[in-house]
Amino acid sequence: MREAYLGIDIGSISTKGVIINQKNQILAKEYLWTEGDPIGAAKRLIASLEKQFDKENYEIVATGTTGSARKLVGSITGATVVKNEITAHAVGTTTFYPEVRTILEIGGQDSKIILVENGIAVDYAMNTLCAAGTGSFLSSQAKRLGVEVEDLGRIALQSEHPTQIAARCTVFAESDLVHKIQMGYTKEDIIAGLCRAVVQNYLNNVGKGKKILQPVVFQGGVSKNQGVVAAFEKELKCKVQVDENGHLMGAIGVAILAAQGKKRKKFDFAVEDTEFRTREVCCGKCPNNCEIVCVYRDGELIDAWGNRCEKGEISK
Amino acid sequence: MAKNRKGTKNLAFPRIANYNCAAKYIMEQGLEQHCVLQPEMTRHTLELGTKYSPDSVCAPFKTSLGSMIEALDAGADTLIMTYGLCRLGYYGELQEQILRDLGYEFEMVNLSEFTTGKKKDYLKAVKKLNPNVNLVHFAAAGIEGLKMAEYVDEIEETYYKNCGFETEKGSCRKIFRKFLRDMEQVESRSEMDAGYKAAREALAGVELEKPEHPLRVGIVGEYFTVMDAFSNLNLEQKLADLGVEVHRWMNVSHRNIHYSGEKNLNVSIRDLCRFEMGPTSTANIWCARKYAEQGFDGIIHVKSAGCTPEIDVMPVLQNIGEEYKIPVLYLTYDSQTSDTGLMTRIEAFYDMIAMRKKVR
Amino acid sequence: MGNKKQSASVRRAEKNLTIGLPRAMLYHRYGALWETFFQQLGVNVIVSEPTNRRIMEEGAALAIDETCLSAKIFLGHVQTLIGRCSYILVPRITGFGVRRDMCTRFSSLYDLTCNVFRTSGQKFLTYNIDEKARSDEETAFEKMGEFLGFSQKEVKSAYKEAKKAEADQRKKQIRQQEKQYEKPGMKILVAGHSYVAEDACVGKPVLDFLEKSGAVVIRADLMDRKDALKKSTQMSPTLKWEINRELAGSIQAQKDKVDGIILLSVFPCGPDSMASEMIIRKNRGVPLLNLVLDGQEGMAGIETRLESFLDIIRFKKGEMGRG
Repeated sequence: MREAYLGIDIGSISTKGVIINQKNQILAKEYLWTEGDPIGAAKRLIASLEKQFDKENYEIVATGTTGSARKLVGSITGATVVKNEITAHAVGTTTFYPEVRTILEIGGQDSKIILVENGIAVDYAMNTLCAAGTGSFLSSQAKRLGVEVEDLGRIALQSEHPTQIAARCTVFAESDLVHKIQMGYTKEDIIAGLCRAVVQNYLNNVGKGKKILQPVVFQGGVSKNQGVVAAFEKELKCKVQVDENGHLMGAIGVAILAAQGKKRKKFDFAVEDTEFRTREVCCGKCPNNCEIVCVYRDGELIDAWGNRCEKGEISK
Repeated sequence: MAKNRKGTKNLAFPRIANYNCAAKYIMEQGLEQHCVLQPEMTRHTLELGTKYSPDSVCAPFKTSLGSMIEALDAGADTLIMTYGLCRLGYYGELQEQILRDLGYEFEMVNLSEFTTGKKKDYLKAVKKLNPNVNLVHFAAAGIEGLKMAEYVDEIEETYYKNCGFETEKGSCRKIFRKFLRDMEQVESRSEMDAGYKAAREALAGVELEKPEHPLRVGIVGEYFTVMDAFSNLNLEQKLADLGVEVHRWMNVSHRNIHYSGEKNLNVSIRDLCRFEMGPTSTANIWCARKYAEQGFDGIIHVKSAGCTPEIDVMPVLQNIGEEYKIPVLYLTYDSQTSDTGLMTRIEAFYDMIAMRKKVR
Repeated sequence: MGNKKQSASVRRAEKNLTIGLPRAMLYHRYGALWETFFQQLGVNVIVSEPTNRRIMEEGAALAIDETCLSAKIFLGHVQTLIGRCSYILVPRITGFGVRRDMCTRFSSLYDLTCNVFRTSGQKFLTYNIDEKARSDEETAFEKMGEFLGFSQKEVKSAYKEAKKAEADQRKKQIRQQEKQYEKPGMKILVAGHSYVAEDACVGKPVLDFLEKSGAVVIRADLMDRKDALKKSTQMSPTLKWEINRELAGSIQAQKDKVDGIILLSVFPCGPDSMASEMIIRKNRGVPLLNLVLDGQEGMAGIETRLESFLDIIRFKKGEMGRG
């Protein structure tokens, strides 16, 4: 029996998972929409990974979770490592690109930049403003234009004169977009403009004041959009690499962290058939009124968090 | 306020960091008025403040407005508001207007009104608070109140440097909380000194397990948000809990009571800035460079959203970060109360500086 | 000291000593003063072209994201002057006395600019008005002139001429504003910092649209400053910013003569975030539009807001439907 490691990255928009072996080779992978239900998404993800996974020869001995629902999914899956997505992305990318100096990442609602020196993250920044210029913004604009989000990149590449679009704020961007449609700009030019706006917004916000050195690796869901890749290359005037598994890099990174960790716990695929429920409880013991998240497995409380002080501690 | 003597005012000042005990001491021992200590700030405070404040005003305006409302609801009849060199200098009048429009009745002593360039005009504010004030008495209590602020700063400084390394979790916290409670109760210098000494000794006796070279993070930033744990979502505690020695120069002792002045601090940052760029800019730039030179593992810059002077310090800090190869994390606080986003950033920052340290 | 003197005269002797003036921020307040001062000294002056989309975008790329639009635009203007002049002028002004402060951004702008353009090799020129350091405008100009290698006498006379030019221009502008009242049509008082109102990409399109829609625009910033300052304390006794006091005082003085008021500011303006709130609270009942621009909204949205504001006024005056 050889060792394998499971990594799950649950974001607000998409859920990603991989199983890797000791050589960091991918044994199974999946990418699906979270659809506002992280527990359901995790179960579907695990079911799909199980189908691809060679149980005869491998055994999952450590599990890592990352992404905005890392804690919830961590307690459901009995994760041995729960890590924030910035560290997970940095670890994943530097494993496959030891020379990398700059990691650009645009996901569903978050975007970040990580600067790397000698394989170690030395500086990073995350978006502070709203979701403008992230994946969810692009999908809603695609819907408005009647285009599948997957096709945005291909269409953008056909444009020769990208339209100016204000993308600082979703609200402004939408009204500007409507205006541009009414003015009769072509779909190609508008979509290329959107891609360009995403890049400018990213560089003005997340990338502000950061020295972007080569090699540059771009990942996260939006890295699948060639239009945005092209816009990045034009703005940065350098090659921007996109890994075929770039959208899985957070999951891969946290699987590697689980492999490196000391904790070992055999992963049980039965999770997919277990009933999990979360409940939000308002503490009410002081005016902070913290919302405490309680997680139940088959009706039994297994984890709780969200309290600011001892008053709100819930014992299992 | 039945126990209140007739003719005495019920004074209140908005909550700020851990200094309300000192304000209370001066009001009660110096002005001989009753001080209403409103509850510590909570989400409710911020919600109240945000509801009645203009949108794009800085967060401290909102929290202090909320805190004023809580003070009035707790029985205060007179509010005191300070002067300040940035927008803070106009807080008082606008907050008073908002409260009056809401229908509150109270007396307002806004130090901005008494800021005329002549120090002695502040005496008029004192007289307004108590026409029969004994000025000698007031001056003595004022000095003692400042001493209390220094005590608070010193104990807090030790607390955040050590609490991440205590062997028994929560032992430092217990001492710190008790100390702050004591300071709210004391009525004389000797009681104050005793409370301070007890806390200092108790903290010194806490068993620590600190590595020889712990991770050290220096915090700089906007005067209010950087000092007020509620406003920065307990940033220092969160860092300490990860196992970091947390340093913060900015406090009332350093910036106000013993401030060595812009000219003196500017000497060592002359190559970065020629003038005072804002009320605390010189101090923050000087402090960030000092942390960098002393080999700290990281710097965190804290500000409320839209704080003009601190936004303008950022390009200088970026140059410091580049020059010394020290990571700088920039945190902006608005009226958010959720700290999951903050936790992600802090954890990642911690991972990063911890990995860097291992390699070095 | 001898060394210093020498370098000053070298500066003066520099062939084609040229000063670059970014057409942004305080240029809209002191432009005449600056241009005349340098011309009197025989120094070449170049002024950046009026703001355009590219200047705005380049400035936004250089500035910290949360910086106000006006400062972003300023940095964009500086960018266009880099390498085209010996010095670029960025004054530092903290204020003129008690409750006569400038926004703290004018304390930082010189150092901010130097830090942003640190690696450009460009030299910057400043003059420092700082009440605490007892440095008023005249002293500050004298020092700046001396730094450039001119004699005290030369500088003094250039400053005197510059002040005269400034006063003349000001008088003319004020007279023009007063004449606006004689025009037929509804009077709209637009209160915004000069650098907002006059900017080709920010305030100008708003003013143009108002005029095109048949309104007569009265600019609140073009009133006698001393009178406005005095008036402002009636509305808000501790309002502490010089420019906001001028605007508040101007509103106080003219609000009964106009049909509506537009507060015009950029996002995010620190002083305006509070001063506008006070003005709104103290002028309930007067038709008032608080228009905050961030340069991203596109003109279509703004025009809709302006149109409906004018319609409301017309409706109130009973002019609706009469064309």
